[in-house]
Amino acid sequence: MRVEFQEELAALEAGFQETGEIVVRSIRGVIDALRTQDVELCDEVIAYDDEIDDRYHGLEKQIELVLARQTPVAGDLRLVLALLHSGHHVERMGDQCVTIAKLTKLSSHLDTRQTVVESLVDMGERCAEMVTESLAAFAARDVSRARGLDALDELVDRANRQVFQEVLGYVNDAEALEWGMRQITAARCFERIGDNAVDIGEQTAFVVTGEFTEFTDASRDVRPLA
Amino acid sequence: MEAPRIDSGRIAEVSRGLERSEVESRKSVFSVRDLSVAYRGKVALEGVDLDVHQNTVTAFIGPSGCGKSTFIRCFNRMNDLIPGAKVDGTVLYHGEDLYARDVDAVEIRRRIGMVFQKPNPFPKSIYDNVAFGPRVLGMKGSLDERVESALRQAALWEEVKDRLKDGALGLSGGQQQRLCIARALAVEPDVILMDEPASALDPISTTRIEDLMHDLKREYTIVIVTHNMQQAARVADMTAFFSVAVEDDGSGRRGILVEYDATTKIFTTPSDKRTEDYVTGRFG
Repeated sequence: MRVEFQEELAALEAGFQETGEIVVRSIRGVIDALRTQDVELCDEVIAYDDEIDDRYHGLEKQIELVLARQTPVAGDLRLVLALLHSGHHVERMGDQCVTIAKLTKLSSHLDTRQTVVESLVDMGERCAEMVTESLAAFAARDVSRARGLDALDELVDRANRQVFQEVLGYVNDAEALEWGMRQITAARCFERIGDNAVDIGEQTAFVVTGEFTEFTDASRDVRPLA
Repeated sequence: MEAPRIDSGRIAEVSRGLERSEVESRKSVFSVRDLSVAYRGKVALEGVDLDVHQNTVTAFIGPSGCGKSTFIRCFNRMNDLIPGAKVDGTVLYHGEDLYARDVDAVEIRRRIGMVFQKPNPFPKSIYDNVAFGPRVLGMKGSLDERVESALRQAALWEEVKDRLKDGALGLSGGQQQRLCIARALAVEPDVILMDEPASALDPISTTRIEDLMHDLKREYTIVIVTHNMQQAARVADMTAFFSVAVEDDGSGRRGILVEYDATTKIFTTPSDKRTEDYVTGRFG
C-alpha cells in the first residue's frame, strides 16, 4: 500500500474542492453586485480572483510533482488528470466572475432594466447551484448526479437566450442599448460557468468509467442563439 | 453538413500502444490452454489460457510467487530440467504441441532463446560467446558475419568490435546482458524469452535493453517477465497480470492469471479490481 501517495491524492482533491467552494463564493458575490449595482463589491470580486488563481497554480504544481514522483496509473491516473482539468474549469469560472464584475462597473452609470437584471441574477443563482452540484458529484463519484447537470445547464442557456431577446428590444434607445450589450456579455459569462460545471461532470464520469464522453455535443447541437 | 477534412490519423499515431484487436490479428506464436505446473506435487500455477502473438512484446507482471517465471519457463521447456516438475495442459507453438513426445527440446531452445536476470556470459572471449551456439549447432555460412550481425542487432557491436578477443567477463553488466542477447540471436531464434532482463542493471543500461526490445520485435517475438511495472508499461504491447490465490483454508497458494489485455488497457482501465489494486500499488 502506497500510503504517502494516497495521502497526496487526497490532498490534491481537497485542494480542488476548496478552490471550487471559493469560486462559488465569488459567483454569489457577483450576483449581489449585479442585484445592487454595487461597484465596491465588484472590486472585491475582482481582487478575490487572485486567491483563485494562486490556488489553481498551486494545484497544478502539486499535480506536476505527483506525476513526476509517483507515476500514477489506472484509476489514480484518471483522478489526477480529472483534477487537473477540473481545476482549470474552476479557474475559468473565477475569470468569468471577474468579467461580469468589470461589466457591471462599466455600465454602472447607466439606467438598469429590472427584467434583465432579474434574468441575470436568476442565471447566476442557477450557476452557483450547478457548481456546488458538480463538486458534490465529483466527490461522491456519482455519474448520474453529474449527468443531471446537463438539465440544469439547459435552464441557464434558456435564460441566456431570454436576455438576448430582451436587449433586442432596446434597439431604438442608444443608452439602453449600450447597457444591454454589456449585459448580454455578462449573460454569456454565466452561460460559460454553466458549461464549465458540466465539464466537471464529464470529468467525474471519466474518473468512474474510464471513458470520456461529452454530455452534449456542442459541435452538432446547433441551436439558434435567440 | 459534410464533416471537415482533418487528417486525424496522424494525430492518433503519436505514442499510441497497439490495440488488442491489432495484436490479436497477428499470428499466434504460442497458444496456451488450461496450463498448470506443479513442483513435487505442489501446484505453482493453475489454469492459464493465453496467446502470444507474432512480432509483439508480451509482459508478465505480478507479485512474487504468482508463477510468472514458472510460466515463461514453459515456453522453452526449461521446467523439464527441474526434477519433480510436472506440466499439464497444452502449449502450442505455431500450432504444434510443444510437449509432444517426439519434440526435440534442444531444437526448441534454439528457436526459443532465453535471457536471464543475471547476465551469464561464458568465461570466454566476446567472440566465442556469440559463436558458441552456431558452432555447436554446426550452422552454415561465415561465422564472423554471424557474430557481427548478432552483436549489431544487440546494439553492442560499436562498443566491442575492436576487442572481440577480450574476455566477456570484463564487460559491464549492461554490456554482458546485451552480449547474452546477441548470443541468443546468433542461432536465429524465433522467440526471445526474457526473465527480468534489466533488474540487475543501472537505469541507462535498462533503457538500452528496452530500446533493444522495441527494435527486436520487428523480427522476433518477445516475452518478458518483469517486476518493474513501468517497464511493462513502456515496452509491452500486451500485459498479463498474474496473482497468488490462497485456498479458503489457507493451505495452498498457487499462481493464477488474473487479466490479460493490451498494455494500454491494463494501465488505464483494467477490468479486474485485483489488477487495478496491483498496478496502482494498493496491493498488500
